Amino acid sequence: MHDHHKPNTKSEPAPAFTPALRKKIEGYLTRYETKRSAILPALHAIQDELGWIADEHVEILDKDYGLHRVQVREVLTFYTAYRQKKPAKNPIMFCNNIVCCMLGANEVIDKIKGHIKKYEERGMEAPFSVEGVPCLCVCDGAPAMIVNKDRHLKVTKDNVDEILERYAELPR
Amino acid sequence: MGDTLNKVKITTAFEGKPNARALKTYVDNGGYTALKKAFSMQPAQIIDEVKAAGLRGRGGAGFPTGMKWGFVPKDDKGPKYIVCNNDEGEPGTFKDRYIAECNPHMLIEGMIIAGFAIGANKGYIYTRFEFFEEIRWLEIAIKEAYDAGFLGDNILGSGFKFHLDHYTGAGAYICGEETGLLSSLEGKKGQPKLKPPFPAVSGYLHRPTVVNNTETLATVPFIINNGAAAHKAIGTEKSPGTKLFCISGRVKRPGVYELPLGYPFEKLLNEDAGGMLPGYTLKACIPGGSSAPILTPEELKGLTLDYEAITAKGSMLGSGAIMIIDNTMSMVELLKVTVDFYHHESCGQCTPCREGTGWLANIMGGIAAGEGKKDDIERMNEISARMGGRTICALSDAAAMPTMSIVKKFGAEIADYIERGIRA
Repeated sequence: MHDHHKPNTKSEPAPAFTPALRKKIEGYLTRYETKRSAILPALHAIQDELGWIADEHVEILDKDYGLHRVQVREVLTFYTAYRQKKPAKNPIMFCNNIVCCMLGANEVIDKIKGHIKKYEERGMEAPFSVEGVPCLCVCDGAPAMIVNKDRHLKVTKDNVDEILERYAELPR
Repeated sequence: MGDTLNKVKITTAFEGKPNARALKTYVDNGGYTALKKAFSMQPAQIIDEVKAAGLRGRGGAGFPTGMKWGFVPKDDKGPKYIVCNNDEGEPGTFKDRYIAECNPHMLIEGMIIAGFAIGANKGYIYTRFEFFEEIRWLEIAIKEAYDAGFLGDNILGSGFKFHLDHYTGAGAYICGEETGLLSSLEGKKGQPKLKPPFPAVSGYLHRPTVVNNTETLATVPFIINNGAAAHKAIGTEKSPGTKLFCISGRVKRPGVYELPLGYPFEKLLNEDAGGMLPGYTLKACIPGGSSAPILTPEELKGLTLDYEAITAKGSMLGSGAIMIIDNTMSMVELLKVTVDFYHHESCGQCTPCREGTGWLANIMGGIAAGEGKKDDIERMNEISARMGGRTICALSDAAAMPTMSIVKKFGAEIADYIERGIRA
C-alpha cells in the first residue's frame, strides 16, 4: 500500500472547491452515459486543483453532486493516482520496474531520499517526496521519473540534482 | 508467405515528419481517405476485409481483430461502443504512447471505421493518467477531427454518427485488461469481469462493446486503403503485418521499431538497435513484456519475431516489449521486481492471484534480503503452478509464467544467493 493512501493524519485543513473546479465537475456529470463515470475525472480535477482529496471533498461530491460516498471512496482507494493527504510541493514518481531498476533507478531513488532526509533533519518541509511506481512505459528513456506532471528520462545519480534544482533548492 | 524483412511503415508512417500530429499533415498525406472508402463499403465487408487481412490484437493477446468485431450482434439496435485500450502498462512496453506522439489521427480514423463496421456511434480512448502529454495530444486531435467533420452527427455527409471522447485512468495496471478497463470507464474499481459474456455481447454498461488496442486500431486505415492482400503480403502467413517492437535495456539504440512480423530477433538487436553497449553481454531477454517467460541467449538464436515462433520457444510475443537483460542484472532482483509488481497490481478479487502474488513477493523479499530458505525455489514453483487458469483474468497467469521460467532457467543463480545468503 502506498503511503499516500493513508488518510490525512496531519489534520491539514481541506482546501475549498473553487468555482472553476465546480464548473469542471458539473461538466463531467453529464458528459458520460452515466453519472457514475464522472467519479474518476472529478477526483482527478480535485487533485489537480487542490493537491489532494480530503474526506470533506468526498462529502461534497456526495451532497452537492449525488456521487455516492461509497462509490467515490471505492475509486479513491483502489487507484494509486489519488492522494488522500497533502503531498509535498513536488511529488516524484520514480519508475522502479525491470529496465529502470537494471539501469540504476534504486540508486537515484536513494539519493533523492537522502535529500529529503536532509531537509527534515534541518526542520524544513521537504519540497519533494518520492515513491517507486510501476512501469511508466518509457523504457527507452530509462531510468524515468515524473516530477509533478513533467516526465524526465535517463535520470541518473549524476544528473538528478541538476533536474531537481529546477524545482527547488537542494540542501547543501 | 509475406515479406519478413521489408520495413513497411504503417503505424509509424508519420515518424519524423514536421508537425506529425497535426490533422493537416495527416490529411495532406492521404489521411481520412480510408474513412471515405469505408463509407462506400458495407459494414460486413469491412469486417471481412479485416478478417482476411489477418490482423491480430497488438495489445498482447494476439486475438484476431476481425473475429472480435464479428462477435458483435448485428441485429442489436444499439447503443454499441468501440473502446481504444490505450492504457499501456505492460512493463517494457512504450509503443502506444508513440502513436499518440506521431499520429493520433490514424488511431481516430481507425476507431471511426471500427465504429461504422460494428454499428457503434460512440467511442472512448482510455489512457493511463501518467501519459500527461499524450492525453493532451489525443484531446487536441479529437477536437481537430470534430472541427473538420470527421467526428459528429453526420460524418462527411454519410449519415453515420460517431462521437469520440477521452477517458483518463488513475494508476492501475489491471485496467489494461479489457473488462477491467470497462469497469473503470463505468466509474468503478478496475476489476475484471467474468467471461462469458464477452464485451462484444455485454461490455460497457452491459452493451455490445469492442475493446481494441491502440496499435491494432491504428492499423485499420492501412487495411481499408490497401486491401487485405497488401497487409497479408507483410510478415508471415499466420502473423501478417507489421508490429511495433519496443527494445530497451543496455543496447545502443533503444526505441520503437516498426518491423514486419517474423523479423529476425538478432537483426533487431544487433543491426536496428545497434547491439549491446560496449562492456555488456546479453544474459537473457524478455520478449513480450514482463508477463512473458524469459528466454536465454541459446533460445534466442535464430528466433524470429512472430506469434508462432516465440510461442514455440515457450514464451510469447505479447505487446512486443523486448527487454534486453544484461550481465549486470541479478536474476534475484529481476524476479523480485517482477513479483512485487504483480502483487501490487493484483486487483484482489481472486484468491489464487491476491494470495499467490503476495506469497511470491514475500519469498522473493526474503531471498533478496539474504534470508532465503533452501526450499524457497520449490515452493515458488508449487505456488505458481496453482495460480494459472484459476482466476477471472490473466494477471495471475502473468505473474506465474515469468516466475516459473526464471526459476527454471536461472534457478542455479537464485539457489546460489540462497545458499550463500547474498543480499541482492
